[in-house]
Amino acid sequence: MKRMIIASVAAAAAFAIPSSAQVSNGSQATNFRLTDANGNNVALSDFKGKLVVLEWHNPGCPFVVKHYKSGNMQKTQNAVTSAGGVWLTINSGAPGKQGHMNGAEATKLLADQNAAPTHYLLDPRGIVGKGYDAKTTPHMYVINPAGALVYQGAIDDKPTANVADIAGARNHVLAAVEEVRAGKPVSVATSRAYGCTVKYPDS
Amino acid sequence: MSSVRFVLACLCAMVAAIVLPASAQLGTDQPPYITMTLEAETPNPAAGSEVTLAFVSRPKPTWHGYWKNPGDAGIETSVAWTLPDGVTAGPLEYPVPQRLIIGGLMNYIYEGEFAQFATLSIPAGLAPGTRIPVAAKVDYLVCTDEICVPETANVSTVLTVGDGAVASDARARFDAWRAKMPKPLGSDATFEVVQATGAQRMFRLAVPYPADASAIDPYFYPATGDVIDMAAPQSAARDGDMLVIETIAAEGAPERIEGVLAIGNGRGLSLAATPGTVAAVEGGADFAWGAALLAFGGAILGGLILNVMPCVFPILSLKALSLAKSGASEAGARRDALAYTAGVVLVCVALGAVLLGLRAGGAAAGWAFQLQDPRVILFLLLLVTAIALNLAGLFEIATPGAVNKLSASGAGGSFMTGALAAFIATPCTGPFMGVALGAALVLPWPAALAIFAGLGLGLALPFLLLGFVPALRRRLPKPGPWMDTFRKALSVPMFLTALALAWVLGRQAGVDGMTIGIGAALLFALGLWWTGRRQGRGANGAWVPGAALAAVALVAVGTVTRAPAQAMSPAVLGAQPFTEARLEELRAQGKPVFAYFTADWCVTCKVNEKAAIETDRVAKAFGDGGVAVLVGDWTDGNPELGRFIERHNRAGVPLYLWYAPGEQGPRVLPQVLTPGMLTDLVTT
Repeated sequence: MKRMIIASVAAAAAFAIPSSAQVSNGSQATNFRLTDANGNNVALSDFKGKLVVLEWHNPGCPFVVKHYKSGNMQKTQNAVTSAGGVWLTINSGAPGKQGHMNGAEATKLLADQNAAPTHYLLDPRGIVGKGYDAKTTPHMYVINPAGALVYQGAIDDKPTANVADIAGARNHVLAAVEEVRAGKPVSVATSRAYGCTVKYPDS
Repeated sequence: MSSVRFVLACLCAMVAAIVLPASAQLGTDQPPYITMTLEAETPNPAAGSEVTLAFVSRPKPTWHGYWKNPGDAGIETSVAWTLPDGVTAGPLEYPVPQRLIIGGLMNYIYEGEFAQFATLSIPAGLAPGTRIPVAAKVDYLVCTDEICVPETANVSTVLTVGDGAVASDARARFDAWRAKMPKPLGSDATFEVVQATGAQRMFRLAVPYPADASAIDPYFYPATGDVIDMAAPQSAARDGDMLVIETIAAEGAPERIEGVLAIGNGRGLSLAATPGTVAAVEGGADFAWGAALLAFGGAILGGLILNVMPCVFPILSLKALSLAKSGASEAGARRDALAYTAGVVLVCVALGAVLLGLRAGGAAAGWAFQLQDPRVILFLLLLVTAIALNLAGLFEIATPGAVNKLSASGAGGSFMTGALAAFIATPCTGPFMGVALGAALVLPWPAALAIFAGLGLGLALPFLLLGFVPALRRRLPKPGPWMDTFRKALSVPMFLTALALAWVLGRQAGVDGMTIGIGAALLFALGLWWTGRRQGRGANGAWVPGAALAAVALVAVGTVTRAPAQAMSPAVLGAQPFTEARLEELRAQGKPVFAYFTADWCVTCKVNEKAAIETDRVAKAFGDGGVAVLVGDWTDGNPELGRFIERHNRAGVPLYLWYAPGEQGPRVLPQVLTPGMLTDLVTT
């Protein structure tokens, strides 16, 4: 509990932007600081010069389940982190709502699902989520090594909860990451995120 | 505790997600959260025709389904059809959705039973009796406030080619669903994205919508998610025949947008918009305190003007004279003035609050809404008659406690006088203040109430000044015998007010209602006369006969009912309400028939009616040619009219039909009419 408050205060301090701000591609990704599942403070600015992927997560959401049960999300994570990229999974679920987790629960889930993000970050007050205008789980963002936002939207182009649809889908995140690495502009820079609503606290 | 709940919720959702699609098919113990059935309007569609299919969804309590654009999250419903060769299905049609904001994110949803339509085309040339098996796999999302579950429903039905007859119960069921579908607006809207303060971009949508058509809590549902910030509040303002919606724009830069404008009570209009210039509307979209202050000032001025209205002036004059006569102390005069003001403002604000409450509850109420009830009119008629007779000197009011303590002094009496003046003033406000007060209703409610208070303040202002400025009071004429004459003269405007009320009553409740009203007024007057006679003799219980007859008169109030609404604009060209039976009858008589279909929310219709149909030239030509005119009012989306309109290849109004005698079918006239076009019909 105490840790949570510290994290929230830290996040609030880092975020002086209005809660309903829209984030534009090409602009510098706003810095933030959150506590991860192991209790460490993690800031976006810790990863200067690296490609960073943000993933909004709720383990109870069927659309998230689709991509974890099939191994699609883990595969995407590995493709990013194995080549030196950073993967930050963020949980903006409020306490008492579906998908909210404490650090221990998150660590266990990651082990059970064989998931390997660089950090699993807890955002129980939804401050970072609202700052990035994250609406769904999953909702994906790609930040290039120069710190600019280059992709935001869905994980792929098949907005369903059906595992069978993954095979024929275009993975927008992988495509964006590959284009950034090849020094090309991102061809699909926005898409409509699909999934469950992020379970923000009732304001 | 919370972690236990989390695990449970989590497990439930996961289990549901994995098991449900299968169980929905197998029908095991875990039921789907939406029960879906597929119904056809007729099981025997004719070859070469179309039949409406309905996917009827029944969400479990606390669960909801989603609109085509689900909002900030969720997915669109998809249908995979299995149909025989040659049979084709149209896109899914959705009823007007509702809004649900959870944690700052917008959901466009349906709670309770809803039906989505799809039109099935049956190829021509199929022999009667041919079986048409129809199957659909529907993927959709169903959620509570907390969790979401994607479900799959496999639904099917078998049609047999027949005569296309629709059973009356199926017709009724489908018509009820059809009433909830958005109606095509018919004219294009315009939108503009403008750079506002800072990085924020504002989205403005101008929808052609007649100034006198009601729209309760208008809201624009965009068909796609890239148009507006869906969770941001929308403001709506009326600007003549234009309804302007303003909200925060989304990142996208669309060339053309589509969506549904909800106009209250579950009704909606589907529309498309193209880029253009949309000016902000004062007082609505850009809510500014300047505009609100201006409206407040206007309301005070309006209230001031009300003082010379025939229904208010006598009350105020007598009150003022009584003040002069009493020679009250400074303090007493101020106390009177303040009490009077309090009475007036309180009643105005109370009426305004009730009005805002009614509108929030979804009723199409306007200012002076209480005057739409003939019983209120009759009550006012009795009250005004009594006041007039009192002014005329028929009886005196000596006993305290009655509302019309016109010449009584004291704070309580002044308060009641003020309340009475405000209540009676409302019939007079209509024509002057209707528009301004209508504008007040789109403001945030504190500002709206302030404007109602301003109206009251204006009404009370003269008396307030008299109370606080002794110089003014000294300027009042000296009391004398002339006051009695003046008072009797003042009964004339009061009687005129009664006459006007009787006329309104006649309009609302018909001749019978008006007769009851005048009879009740006569009865009441007799009672008051009797009371006056007893007062003159100094008899005890002078009020007994007056009170008894007043009670009888009040019983009459309960008996008047609103007469059925007349067919719209009956005077125009002698138009009759459209029914197919009436049309057949007129055609059988060999009469030329002009049939037109209109709706209160259709600007094109109203323009055509004003500029062409209701002109003298056309009236003369139609009159000379013996043309019968039928008018169909589609304001509430009457499904029978809707079907008739569709048969003429129009999705909605306006529709103008000309049936010449001897011709097989009607001529469908253009959607923009000129008087010449209509007169030519008769002469050629």
